Amino acid sequence: MRNAIYPALTAVILVGAWYLAVLFFEVPRYLLPLPGEVVTRLIEDRDFLLRHGWVTTYETLGGFALSIVIGIPLALLIVSSSTIDRALMPWIVLSQTFPKIALAPLIVVWFGLGLVPKLIVTFLVAFFPILISTIVGLRSMERDMDELRLSMRASVWQTFWYFRLPLALPSLFAGLKVSVAFAAVGAVIAEWVGANEGLGYLLLTANANLDTPLLFAVLVLLMVLGMVLYHAIEMLERLLIPWHATIRLKTGQPSF
Amino acid sequence: MTAMTDVCLRRPLQRPSDAAIALTGVGKTFLPSGSEVVALTDIDLTVGDGEFVAIVGSSGCGKSTLLRLIAGLMPVSTGRVEVKGHRVSGPDPGVGIVFQTPVLLPWRTVRRNIELQLDVRRLGRSQHGKEVDRLIALTGLAGFENSMPYELSGGMQQRVALCRALIHNPDLLLMDEPFGALDALTREQMNAELQRIWMETRKTVVFITHSIMEAAFLADRVVVMTPRPGKIREIVPIDLPRPRTFETFRNPVFHEACDRIRSLMSASGLME
Repeated sequence: MRNAIYPALTAVILVGAWYLAVLFFEVPRYLLPLPGEVVTRLIEDRDFLLRHGWVTTYETLGGFALSIVIGIPLALLIVSSSTIDRALMPWIVLSQTFPKIALAPLIVVWFGLGLVPKLIVTFLVAFFPILISTIVGLRSMERDMDELRLSMRASVWQTFWYFRLPLALPSLFAGLKVSVAFAAVGAVIAEWVGANEGLGYLLLTANANLDTPLLFAVLVLLMVLGMVLYHAIEMLERLLIPWHATIRLKTGQPSF
Repeated sequence: MTAMTDVCLRRPLQRPSDAAIALTGVGKTFLPSGSEVVALTDIDLTVGDGEFVAIVGSSGCGKSTLLRLIAGLMPVSTGRVEVKGHRVSGPDPGVGIVFQTPVLLPWRTVRRNIELQLDVRRLGRSQHGKEVDRLIALTGLAGFENSMPYELSGGMQQRVALCRALIHNPDLLLMDEPFGALDALTREQMNAELQRIWMETRKTVVFITHSIMEAAFLADRVVVMTPRPGKIREIVPIDLPRPRTFETFRNPVFHEACDRIRSLMSASGLME
């Protein structure tokens, strides 16, 4: 609990500074509302905000799930076959040097305004970290361990199940955490390009109406969404790989 | 006590028919980047059943490669390797290996790490439960069965690796500088314990090290290797009774053997 005091204190100071700055410098409310106005808006419009928030949530989760379902098997293929590796990897890397967001308008032209284009844009942004971290993880077997499994005459399947998969999990989870944050970005951008619901859509509407309290309320929701998803993955990580060193260091501290 | 006397009286067996390991004209060449590197050449070596042989040499003399050839982890370029009269053409089921690092799986407890060998070889965990218990007791790991590897010291981790190398009851125990990463005191203690475990289990052991003292303390015979290309310089018999103790370090026979090994290594200008 003591560890929660410091970030909470930071938040109190920041919100206090925000409050005082608005009053002291007489900032127009359409530029920067008071914290209280944002909170009021969050409470008054909660049904409306939650409905749109839910849309962005399932777009994010859908694109993220798609990234997992495609990214992990693709990583397995690339790791298990050098032919596939050499044929695909240069193109996958090239596709990532390209700003995928720039594809969003095209995807809207092709797939319209429904859920599908949102899932595709989200997937495009979120799948790369999963692919790369899974590949790195699956390849992270030291020479001694490789010889150990050889000496035990482990089959391909046993090598994967007993050695490679558990070894890959820490790296995979690092990728999942990056990916889920990217997925939320992807969903919001997909909504900017063409949507009639969702938090990204609300941002554009609020922007057009100079409704800054609503803008801030949406930002708060996006922050909450990102936090919840990130921590959900972290919890899953603790559950699945409690032996992993970075987590071990954290749990070594008595107060966390 | 009878087991001990037995071991004391036993002499290394040299006849090929009794050989646990027989290497004839073994050579190994690598092609790392087009150009040939001869790692080993003209290796002839016979290790008797139940014998403890140490291989010493400086870095790069191919001693680890030699161990891998015996283990069937890589193929020979020339010559042949036989284990128990059968030509080695891949990892042999009758071999247990202890590597330089313990290579324990960090997600498995001590007991589960030992059982990994059973799991992968499909040997049935339940039938071998007593054997796991026995090895845990033998190596002084009792009470740590449910510990995770990161909770153990380096010496303890290597004990787990030793149990894992023995649990499937192999004829051959191959050890590749297993105590090289340990501090001097732990290392001496592990040497004494390894001798005790060897005397109880009577495995044929090939032990790679670059420590002359360690080799002379543990082995029936010490194979001295020289590098570029790696070959056997001489085989030094260590004529000392078992069990060897810290008293052995003061024995003139021990010193003569160590001096002999050292001079063989320095004659080739290879002392590190």
